[in-house]
Amino acid sequence: MPEPVAVVRDVSVAFQGSRSLLDALRLRPAPPIRAVDGVSFSVLPGEVLAIVGESGSGKTTTANLLLGLLPASEGSVALEGRELGRLSRRELARMRRSVQMIFQDPYESLNPRMRVGDIVAEPLRVHRLLRSASEIRARVREALEEAGLTPVDAYLRRLPFELSGGQRQRVAIAAALAMRPRLLVADEPVSMLDVSIRAEVLNLLRALADEHDIAVVMITHDLSTVAAYADRIAVMYLGRIVETGDARTVLTDPQHPYTRALRSVVPIPDPSARRRPVILAGETPDPSRIPSGCRFHPRCPVAFDRCRTVDPPLFDLGGGHEAACLLVGPDAPGTAPADGGAPEAIRES
Amino acid sequence: MTALVEVSAPTPSASARLSWRRLLQRPMGVIGGGMLLLALLAAVAAPFISPYDPYAPARVTVFDIFQPPSGAHLLGTDDSGKDILSSLFYGARISLLVGFAAAAITTVIGGLVGIVAGYRGGRIGIGLMSITDFFLVIPEIALQIVIVAIAGQSLLNIILVIGLLGWASTARLVRSQTLSVRERKFVLRARAIGAGDAHILRRHVVPAVLPLMIANTVLVVSLAILSESTLAFIGLGDPTVISWGGMLNHAFNRSAITAGAWWALIPPGFAIVWVVLGTTLLGTALEDALNPRLKRHHLERERSLLRRGGEAFLRRGSLAPGPAAPVLEVRNLTVEFDSPGGPLRAVDDVSFDLYRGETLGLVGESGCGKTTTILGLLRLLPPGGHVVGGTVRYGDDDLLALEPAEMRSIRWARLSLVFQGAMNALNPVRPVGDQVAEAIRIHEPRAGRREATRRAEQLLERVGIGRARYRDYAHQYSGGMRQRAMIALALACRPDVIMADEPTTALDVMIQAQILELLSELSGEMGMSVVLVTHDLGVVAQTCDRLVVMYGGRVAEQGATAQVFASPQHPYTQRLLGSFPDLAHPERRLEGIAGTPPRLDAMPPGCPFEPRCAFAFDRCREEVPPLYPAGDGQVASCFLLDPRAPSTASTAGAPNA
Repeated sequence: MPEPVAVVRDVSVAFQGSRSLLDALRLRPAPPIRAVDGVSFSVLPGEVLAIVGESGSGKTTTANLLLGLLPASEGSVALEGRELGRLSRRELARMRRSVQMIFQDPYESLNPRMRVGDIVAEPLRVHRLLRSASEIRARVREALEEAGLTPVDAYLRRLPFELSGGQRQRVAIAAALAMRPRLLVADEPVSMLDVSIRAEVLNLLRALADEHDIAVVMITHDLSTVAAYADRIAVMYLGRIVETGDARTVLTDPQHPYTRALRSVVPIPDPSARRRPVILAGETPDPSRIPSGCRFHPRCPVAFDRCRTVDPPLFDLGGGHEAACLLVGPDAPGTAPADGGAPEAIRES
Repeated sequence: MTALVEVSAPTPSASARLSWRRLLQRPMGVIGGGMLLLALLAAVAAPFISPYDPYAPARVTVFDIFQPPSGAHLLGTDDSGKDILSSLFYGARISLLVGFAAAAITTVIGGLVGIVAGYRGGRIGIGLMSITDFFLVIPEIALQIVIVAIAGQSLLNIILVIGLLGWASTARLVRSQTLSVRERKFVLRARAIGAGDAHILRRHVVPAVLPLMIANTVLVVSLAILSESTLAFIGLGDPTVISWGGMLNHAFNRSAITAGAWWALIPPGFAIVWVVLGTTLLGTALEDALNPRLKRHHLERERSLLRRGGEAFLRRGSLAPGPAAPVLEVRNLTVEFDSPGGPLRAVDDVSFDLYRGETLGLVGESGCGKTTTILGLLRLLPPGGHVVGGTVRYGDDDLLALEPAEMRSIRWARLSLVFQGAMNALNPVRPVGDQVAEAIRIHEPRAGRREATRRAEQLLERVGIGRARYRDYAHQYSGGMRQRAMIALALACRPDVIMADEPTTALDVMIQAQILELLSELSGEMGMSVVLVTHDLGVVAQTCDRLVVMYGGRVAEQGATAQVFASPQHPYTQRLLGSFPDLAHPERRLEGIAGTPPRLDAMPPGCPFEPRCAFAFDRCREEVPPLYPAGDGQVASCFLLDPRAPSTASTAGAPNA
């Protein structure tokens, strides 16, 4: 078993929320907002982990943790076996080179005035990783090739506006690859792209994991785009991982009601598909007002009494599949008709 | 809203390199630059082209004073017998020197203050901006006069005073530009890479701010020249040098007017106007070329007249008639955009019907003309866009032939639009409920205030916002709520048709499901027809009765949703379906379509999809395929469906994904 590239253990991130004028006058402290609350996961080299969640789920905060842009309030984040919280500034800066980020919007995240070659060389120059211009040039060519932008000479002198969205995202990936990273964090890498060009970017990320043993963490709100590309999926809701496991298992046999609902509303390009979408009412609540008990219970179609008081941990379902729902825990109400009617109903969907 | 703007700009680029070309396309810039260049040449070459040296001591006799223009003195002489033409050339040196030197001071100080204030923000930024605001409000000319009078009338003092008092507006401009660059994603990305401030400023901020600063500097030059002339005119110029303002001052003070010596007054006045006009023209053109966003927004004004093509008649045929008369009948709609290289066709010969109560999907990649089709038939095209042919029959009217006022009353009341990015479409300073009530009252003036409020409350309730939030503002709503509010606005007048342009694109999947469910419930309840513009084939499969696939501004395929999904006939439709993720088959990797949709200015002569099509053959490169019927009202524009198609092609093409 190879060493994981990143290990996140029981991490929480709390921000200071804003307080009302009245509370400020009463000298009441602002309530802390827990954007991420007790999250644990790890990524192996060559593995693609998809973190799936809606806005407010804490998935972007999790990405910032991995990038070392945000300190953990509790718990630890370790990259290549070294805990980020214990590193000196210099060591942290060196560590950051091995984690690179791909942003959502390739139209906005590339400087429109810089040529492709300069964009890819920028991180090398910033970190003074390579001294000589010829070394930089060689590394840039290599990175562009790895990102599939060949022939390289056709791209080096181009400006971003001359490229398609998929090509731009490849340029961003090449800039990341120039640093020879161990971990790529891709925040919604294809959601701004046309469907017809999503495949090229997703296939590239998959290939980087398979061929270069890079660990990839893909952050997305869309279960369907990662379905064929992720090895594992972690579904987040309101700062927690509510279900995680092998991608195939989570998609074909989801156990948490939230995952089921999320799966059921993904449109399927087949007009004859018979489906019963479970459309949850309302929106993800504000993280400053986390419900008691299971944080999903106010929107859960199968919630029962105990859900209001008991906060379920992740229960092991075997084979690395885990779900945080009392219905799959050891004390589950089982098939007793009193409570069990509802869970049956949702299983069908 | 950004998407709407995008269609108007076939070459979206903010590159400075292209801006120079844009500048040369502007007559204003060329004329201004030419005028300034001439003045510069005169200043540089003054010693060589001046017939006399105005600084040389001369013995003046009474006969030399105020000589009218003659062969010896082309512009006559002034009160001290000097040749005016020569003084004019030498004066250009002083005026331009003061102008450029003062502008340089202004630019350096203003640029530094602006960049620091914009980039740093916080206490330093606020402090610097307070100082800037102070300098902005002091009356410049009065202070200039006082300081020059006290400090002494030397050229250096004049330059310093003009430069040091004039930097505030530059600072403001640079600061706002810096602020906006600082927020851009590529700066964020540079920071994520680990770049320091020095790197970000040097590589990202300064290159973005510099072009505007240059444009501003040119404008400041003209202001400085004007200031210098003013000072010199009221006698506060440097008495040891010749400047245009000084020439005017002398002429006025030494009775040029009583002497009738107009030639002593008009040339320096004209020179000042010449240079100031030249720099202003050049500066404005530069600013315009570098900042295309200054243009007016296209939704501001109604297009008054349509440019109609001659052969725009109903051409029924390829479309099978439906069971009932359609609500909306679009025939041969063609839209063009003006461009320097001639008109660009964004929508080409698009026809479709919309029946009562049905949901029609308009699908395709971005840049295929979906949004332009909708905007064209609603006559909301951005400036430079024209409907050049076709008809849009709604009831007994052709929407494209209506008077603007008639069109306005139909639009929104009968045909409403829900567009992308709802947050931009709601007025941020009015309660959302009031906006809904206002929409009701505009189209139904007879409904009183109370009635409108009541109906607005009902509507908010119906779209799932709840009347409790009637008084809330848009920023207090979440993204999904704003989109609901937009739907409430669109429903305000109980329209027949709602056109929804990517109504769920930026929303989470669950919210997306909620909005789509709401739209389909509403169309069922009210018998409304919906045109859904989307790139998401999953959404189409689940909500649309029929669909129109667009490519390169043309209809590639249309038909009943179930049928098109079951047997797509156009290779584009097949590839589009192949690139779509399907959770029912999670293991299937996506295929994608290599290449990009054609640009409007590089449209292939034949089938627009030919360069990306695996089945293309010779005919596809030469002719544009018409729509061929493929059974049960399904049509596709592909030569593979031509009964006379070459057999090799049709076997190779056996279009079944």
